[in-house]
Amino acid sequence: MTHSLHRRGDYDSLKEDFVVLGCPATGVNKKGSAPKTQKFLSICYKHGPINLGDMKTGNIYNTTMDDILAKVTDGTIVQCTFDNREKIVSLLKDLKENRPGISIIISGVTEVVQQCMDEAGLGRIHSLEYSLGAWGQIEKLPDFYILEATTMCGHAMISADLVRKMVRDVKRGRRTAEDACLEMSRCCTCGNYNLTRGIKLLKKLTAHYMVHTLY
Amino acid sequence: MKADSDKCIACKRCFPYCPMGRIQSFKRHEKIHGRVYIEIDQESCTDCGVCLRSNICPVNALFQQPETWPREVRGILSNPLIEFKGSQVPGRGTEEMKTNDVKGSFLPGEVGVGVELGRPGIGAYFRDVEKVAMALLSAGIGYELAMENPVTHFMSDKSTGKLRDDVLGEKATSAIIEGKCKLEQLPRAIEVLKKVAEEVDTVFTVEVISKVPPEGDVPIVPVFERLNVWYSINSKNNLGLGEPRFKFYSDQP
Repeated sequence: MTHSLHRRGDYDSLKEDFVVLGCPATGVNKKGSAPKTQKFLSICYKHGPINLGDMKTGNIYNTTMDDILAKVTDGTIVQCTFDNREKIVSLLKDLKENRPGISIIISGVTEVVQQCMDEAGLGRIHSLEYSLGAWGQIEKLPDFYILEATTMCGHAMISADLVRKMVRDVKRGRRTAEDACLEMSRCCTCGNYNLTRGIKLLKKLTAHYMVHTLY
Repeated sequence: MKADSDKCIACKRCFPYCPMGRIQSFKRHEKIHGRVYIEIDQESCTDCGVCLRSNICPVNALFQQPETWPREVRGILSNPLIEFKGSQVPGRGTEEMKTNDVKGSFLPGEVGVGVELGRPGIGAYFRDVEKVAMALLSAGIGYELAMENPVTHFMSDKSTGKLRDDVLGEKATSAIIEGKCKLEQLPRAIEVLKKVAEEVDTVFTVEVISKVPPEGDVPIVPVFERLNVWYSINSKNNLGLGEPRFKFYSDQP
């Protein structure tokens, strides 16, 4: 399950994009993990995530924080998306002092994540996973600019056509960039969609495309 | 996913939500004069459910009927809300490196190699998944499959990567082959994947997992650099905060 790994973008676009996951381990600490996961969620919430969710329940843009917390069971994997490096450092300091006991993972620019861990006094990254990109018939993929937006949902629930339609709607004045990104965030059930980054990307996209070339 | 022909008004609002692209066609209603509805191409649809969950249909025409084997594998792998009972993890994969700090799934000297077919946003048939699995398992690199992964469960022969014949014609938004091998076999694994990439009718993403040693280089990075393989500036990072901690080194406190 690598849905926060293959986010496309350059350093400037990704340096303020973090997905923090809390994951209990089957056969080790999954039994009785619900309160630990709820504690992890509550700590994250305190530090102001831009999105947050559990793939089975939904994210804060299609349900409520109370609903997400209430539906956490043993084994639930939750994710919180942050748009700010400072928030990550303060979150890590808090997690160091108040360890929930489940595994915690951060997807982000490796060098930035390591700097944040150093600042929080957490030492070196324990284990990591790199993406080697897309292989095979890559000519089937949409443009890089569209991929930057769609790959924020690793389950591919934000389609390339939806991004094109949202760009067209923004260009035609039917929606604001903020409304368009809210719509896309609702499709990404897990809560991995970073709205702050999404708005920046959408504004960049509107400059790149003519209405008649879009969906 | 289907659209109820008696309810659908062919407004097209659901079209852009489909991750598989434009897979709908217009049909004339046989009994209601002048009525047009949409039909979703069942061959292309992966039953991911995003059109239904988006609540975009103004007349509630979209519906997901219960599917039987083998079609049900589409929803299992494509709909993030469905949990595959074999892995006990929602979605397409396993816990992989997310719980490495407490499980020790990837020890020093071992690398996780995952291949996710159909990603990003193209979709993949299981006949292509089989090609990649068989290439990895026949490469002589000691590729050890993650047993709790859904794709592993669909294999009729786990030693060769052969999938059940009845799933080969099924399609998923994406399907992950997960496993591990020794670090020294990583160059060969990459070579095999480069070759099989030319044979599949889709795209796939490749991911590599490593334990980070207390000091020195992350062992997979010099391999990528030596082979001149692109790797991402962003990564998924386990912070090592899980409890109880797995003991990776004899001198570890």
